[in-house]
Amino acid sequence: MLNILPQLIANGLIIGAVYALVAAGFSLLFSTNRHLHFGHGAAITAGAYALYFTLTERRMPISSAIIIALLAAVLVGWLCFVLVYYPLKKKHASAVVLLIAGIGLLIFFENLFVLLFGTDVKVVDYIAVTKGLTILGAVITKLQLFMIAVSLALLYGLFLFLYKNKYGITMRAIANNPELAVLIGIDKTKFYHLSFVIGSFLAGVAGILIALERNVEPIMGTGLMVEGFISAVIGGVASVPGGILGGFILGIVENLGIGFLPSGFKGAIAFTILFIFLIFKPMGLFGIRKGTRGD
Amino acid sequence: MQAFLIQIVILLLIYLIVAVSLNLTLGQSGLLNLGHLGFFGIGAYVSAIASKTYGLSFFFAFLLAASFSALCGFALMSAIKKLSGDYLALATLGFNYVVYTILVNWMSFTGGPVGISGIPRPSFFGWKIATQPEYLFLSAVVSFLIFFFIAYLSKSRFGKVLNAVRDDELAAMALGKNTHKVKVQAMMLSAAFCGVAGSLFAHFITFIDPSLVSVTEVIFILSIVILGGIADNRGTLLATVIIVSLPEALRFLHLPNSAVGPLRQMIFSLILILILLYRPKGLFGKVELK
Repeated sequence: MLNILPQLIANGLIIGAVYALVAAGFSLLFSTNRHLHFGHGAAITAGAYALYFTLTERRMPISSAIIIALLAAVLVGWLCFVLVYYPLKKKHASAVVLLIAGIGLLIFFENLFVLLFGTDVKVVDYIAVTKGLTILGAVITKLQLFMIAVSLALLYGLFLFLYKNKYGITMRAIANNPELAVLIGIDKTKFYHLSFVIGSFLAGVAGILIALERNVEPIMGTGLMVEGFISAVIGGVASVPGGILGGFILGIVENLGIGFLPSGFKGAIAFTILFIFLIFKPMGLFGIRKGTRGD
Repeated sequence: MQAFLIQIVILLLIYLIVAVSLNLTLGQSGLLNLGHLGFFGIGAYVSAIASKTYGLSFFFAFLLAASFSALCGFALMSAIKKLSGDYLALATLGFNYVVYTILVNWMSFTGGPVGISGIPRPSFFGWKIATQPEYLFLSAVVSFLIFFFIAYLSKSRFGKVLNAVRDDELAAMALGKNTHKVKVQAMMLSAAFCGVAGSLFAHFITFIDPSLVSVTEVIFILSIVILGGIADNRGTLLATVIIVSLPEALRFLHLPNSAVGPLRQMIFSLILILILLYRPKGLFGKVELK
């Protein structure tokens, strides 16, 4: 057990980097829009399939493939907002209605991808499998190091945006007190749009990274989103830094868990953590009570 | 053709049980329960394992399915008693995932991803229900008994307390009602009925696998209850007929098999989104989700 410990932690950090991207987007969307965006998983899958289609089927260069994949992810996320969430919000639908609509969106897109690409697993096969580097007793490939680097860089960028940029600060102001934000003349709707673009962009990156490292299948977005969501709960749903930390925690705990249990129980480990947090610490590590419990 | 029609009607009757029992929690008591299908899976598996692995008669397997589901409903309710809103929705959805993961991974008991096949058709004291019309009769009896029981319950004192809890829990508490207790009772009843539906399903199809409780199926059942209008049993009946039979029309378009499945799911999710957008109170509409 001890000799595989570094490897398990390394694996946890790698997947945790992806969870953190999803969770950061999820938290950003939740704190700005005040409802859970289940369609988030669709943006992940859209990014991954767009990459597969452009890179592997159409043989486009990697740079344009990545741009198209990101655009696809942003488009799917933004469409969820424009076509479904925004009209619902205008009718003053409750957060629960938005959540159910989001599940509908998720299933809709998941099946759209099944219809377009089939249920079989697609391999992007762009980066040849190389021998990994050994770092502190764990074998890590260059791609995996790249994944962690990309994730950390983007999350740092998100942090700079939220805390240093004028628009980011306004977005946090809306998250903090929407009524007050409107009173001082902030156009909330503009920032709803912006939050969906940024959140879906991060989801698209997560989809691309997973597509490059593993493979592409229709249910990937749902799975990743669930894990990203649990990460967000661990950190406190409305807190972006909390979501990032939660992502890494979940990644490591899951991988340590697989060290003891059969790998099929990975999902169960994640949900056990979810239940523990929901029951004992529903506000998460950094959460603030913000109407998340319906009050 | 006739066999095909009977099969659809049997499935319709089974899904009617699932939908009206969900209405008891989601509609009457306002508990946003997204894990209802977990009970369907539990009922189906308990009944299948009891009758196939342990050779129990259908009657006992059926009762076991109901009571075990009710027990799980109690456990779920104890776990989520402090939650409401988004968090409640997620915890119940999580319950669904937990059931799914257990069904997939507890190989020795549930057969893993392959599931259980060759589940015996029911028999009562020597009367074997083997043909489809006989099964239709059985499911119709069970389904209508449950439907009318729940319809009666909704109008009874118990139903009124549930509605009070849904509309204003604080006020109900102030009137001295034990709101948690009635919610637990509603959840256990709802779980038991859903387990019964699972048992009927398992012995009818004679083959079950974990996909019974996948998230995609949650959409199916939610679209029934929301189309019918929550807390509206008549609406649920009509919505079940619509939602179950609508995708069957796809068969007549002669689409390739691989396209029918995803199209069916896309139709359900579209219906769900469209109702939420344009008719949030459902067909007849009394209560809005909140």
